[in-house]
Amino acid sequence: MNIQYVGEHLLIGDIGNLFIVVSFVAALLSALAYYFSAQNKLANTSWKRIGRASFRIHSISVLGIMGTMFVIIFNHYFEYQYAWQHSSKALPVRYILSCFWEGQEGSFLLWTFWHIVLGNILIRYSGEWESSVMTVVSVVQIFLSSMLLGIYIFGYKLGSNPFLLLREHPDYANLPFVKIANYLETLDGRGLNPLLQNYWMTIHPPTLFLGFASTLVPFAYAIAGLWQKKYTEWLKPALPWTFFGVMILGTGILMGGAWAYEALSFGGFWAWDPVENASLVPWLTFVGGAHVMVIYKNKGQSLVTTFFLIFLTFIFILYSTFLTRSGILGDTSVHAFTDLGMSGQLLVYLLFFVFVSAFLLVKHYKHLPQEKDEDNITSREFWMFIGALVLLISAFQIIFTTSIPVINKVFGSNLAPPLNPIQHYNSWQVPFAIIISCLIAIGQYFNYKATDTKKFLNRLLISILASIVISIIIMLSFNTFNGYFIALCFTSVFAILANLNYLFRILKGNIKKAGPSIAHIGFGMILLGSLISTSQSETISINTSSVDVSKLGKDFSNNDNLLLSLNDTLKMGKYFVTYKGKKKEGINVYYAIDYLEKDANGKYKLSFTLNPLVQTNPRMGNIAEPDTRHFLQKDIYTHVTYAELEEENETSSNEFVEKSTQSLQIGDSLFATNSIVVLESLLKDIDRKKYNLNDSDIVVAAHLRITDINNKTYFADPLYVIEENYVSPLDAKVEALGLKFSFTKIDIQTGKVEIKLFEKKSNKKEFIVMKAIIFPGINILWLGCFLMIIGSIVAIVNRLRARN
Amino acid sequence: MKKIHIVVIVVIAVAIAAIMSTVSDSSTYASFAIAQNNAGDEYHVVGKLNKEKEMVYNPEVNANLFSFYMKDNEEKEVKVNYKGTKPQDFERSEQIVICGKIVGTEFEADKILMKCPSKYNNGQPGELSSNTSRPKISRIIQ
Repeated sequence: MNIQYVGEHLLIGDIGNLFIVVSFVAALLSALAYYFSAQNKLANTSWKRIGRASFRIHSISVLGIMGTMFVIIFNHYFEYQYAWQHSSKALPVRYILSCFWEGQEGSFLLWTFWHIVLGNILIRYSGEWESSVMTVVSVVQIFLSSMLLGIYIFGYKLGSNPFLLLREHPDYANLPFVKIANYLETLDGRGLNPLLQNYWMTIHPPTLFLGFASTLVPFAYAIAGLWQKKYTEWLKPALPWTFFGVMILGTGILMGGAWAYEALSFGGFWAWDPVENASLVPWLTFVGGAHVMVIYKNKGQSLVTTFFLIFLTFIFILYSTFLTRSGILGDTSVHAFTDLGMSGQLLVYLLFFVFVSAFLLVKHYKHLPQEKDEDNITSREFWMFIGALVLLISAFQIIFTTSIPVINKVFGSNLAPPLNPIQHYNSWQVPFAIIISCLIAIGQYFNYKATDTKKFLNRLLISILASIVISIIIMLSFNTFNGYFIALCFTSVFAILANLNYLFRILKGNIKKAGPSIAHIGFGMILLGSLISTSQSETISINTSSVDVSKLGKDFSNNDNLLLSLNDTLKMGKYFVTYKGKKKEGINVYYAIDYLEKDANGKYKLSFTLNPLVQTNPRMGNIAEPDTRHFLQKDIYTHVTYAELEEENETSSNEFVEKSTQSLQIGDSLFATNSIVVLESLLKDIDRKKYNLNDSDIVVAAHLRITDINNKTYFADPLYVIEENYVSPLDAKVEALGLKFSFTKIDIQTGKVEIKLFEKKSNKKEFIVMKAIIFPGINILWLGCFLMIIGSIVAIVNRLRARN
Repeated sequence: MKKIHIVVIVVIAVAIAAIMSTVSDSSTYASFAIAQNNAGDEYHVVGKLNKEKEMVYNPEVNANLFSFYMKDNEEKEVKVNYKGTKPQDFERSEQIVICGKIVGTEFEADKILMKCPSKYNNGQPGELSSNTSRPKISRIIQ
């Protein structure tokens, strides 16, 4: 029986599907036409024209697919599975972009989009390289477009179509509500993953994907260089692209770090998560590749290594795509995609380019210009080459450990990732960083070919001495004498100072040639900043409560989390923190935490307030987001690790619950959750009219003075009343503190009185468990990122100018 | 022998060392039975939370201790003490991976990795195939 569905927008999906098919076919045509154009140099103009036209049609179709998807998501057409799964009506407009790339299909599109942007620039500017380079770009586009096809070929599903209707999607077609004709009237989307509802997630993915896309250009030039037997000519046009790619990919990775630092709860900007590693590794080989390209340009050496590193970079990009999208990392990573049944397709994509690059390199190996003379150990190229190799090994170490799930799959082994991944990676990467920062420091002081050793040392001496002084100061100020810390601290400071010195004394501030120095200063600062902020980070939320946790075993000394009750003040490091309450705004619950400092007079003074939040999401689980106070020299990171979230029933939280019954003498005190109560005196002279009491009643008042944590004083006078031989106490309340007192007994022999203390349920309930960490020197890292970007831009501009 | 050959040999040596260190640093996925036979050694154990037994997290007493009962994939049940706060929505986890070691009869975990379901609330879970719980969020809580 066919159901006549109401209110569906089917036309737009058909348009989208049309664009998908056209984009795929046009990419195919473009690749073929460009291939013939590159092969057949005589009749190349007509083929080239076809290739160009096809690539333009392909570009327009890709834009069409994206536009169609935006219309669907923006208008909440939940009949489409993609919109239903990744957005909802309540989602703020600023996150619509994030919905777009939450799913695999959208993120493939984003990647494709950057390829068409770069492809069109190449068509315009690559000149004689157009046909061969664009052949490679178009072949890549065939693979990427096929990821969206969603058609079955011989029973194998090719791609995943973003325009599939919810009721036709194999996973959801059985949902009961899609059998109802007007299901759309009540349907709302499942919403965006709360982790992505963050401003960093609107800029990090596009930047990272532009970085991914930009590795394609040098790769395409390198392939074209071998294919067209222009073994060395490709380097010149490819070099500015390589610098551009290094800069953008690096920025994208660091933005991911910034997102993790600002919005994720693991406390830090880098956790050696498999997905982070998967994008860091191609960056490392890319940086290595960029440097050997420079060597070849200046010295005519290391050409094979150049090809190898540029090929490897692109292949690592494909490999990282495979790792993050095939679902293979599922158990080990925070932010991997889950399998969409495309792992086979991704593997073909990866292996195709591994095969093509290996084949071309082997085929043309013997034609490549060989190095004639022995490397001189005092030459710049020798040390740059060593640096590139260190980066390669560093990349290898990271990717090997990250690939443990793949190794398990291939060899059927049962390895689990290291229990302490951070320690594992650091034990390797810190020594590599020490070598690299040393090379960065000395590299530019070497000349190409050979260097006069004496002159070399003379020029470096001042930087070495200054670095020793500064690292001793850093060491003493943090009171750290760990060998690795000292070594990396010295070498990274050395890298910064030697490049500064080079910039001002040798280049004399010549901005045109300053790019490498500025970028290297930036990199040195990134190393120094991450060294200081991670190794010297200090958890200040140490459990100061009186509970002894050591009896649970000595391994249970982990007490990073602190329980903080409402309006309670606890000492934390040099601060005193007070939890001031929570506030609900939309789906977010904000917790106000005051940081107080004691001034000279011993008075508390508010320094700042942080508002870490918990984003409630009934479907995908609640997400806690930290809040960080930034100072020039340090950050204070505060994160709610546990909080009772269930909606408190107003009436029940206002109920009084008996807390304690105590016998007090005048002057004795008792403790409530939020205050100290002192029995000041017993009063017999009572204004009976006020309480509506008879003159014959026996009445005694307990005069209580209540002091809360803010030193504010309240008074309460519960009454002990004997009314015709019948004890009927009159309670006294302090509404502000949620306290109630009952005067229930007088012991005539001892003179003690019995006071019952009641507290509101809400008094007891409100608490949070929080964690606070100080990250010193993290601004060195962010400033370093900034300088590295500036330096790269200067270098690109300089290379472009040299080309024209 | 060229200098470059020496460099290549060093590179290969470091690469081999890196492989060996990865293998020696890596832990193993194991069952509770294996972990108990090797008490004190650290393992990753995959399993499910036993939702019928009590989960204890009493931050007023100790904000850094959370205990629960977990069944591994061989249906063996062990009490787990985790040194940290109770993860958000722990009750809803469909699969958990704990990292740590057996001490006495209990498992001391210093890391929990959990996989939350994200099934559509109105749908009937039984009707959905297993890969519908996308996007999964697995969070590492350290």
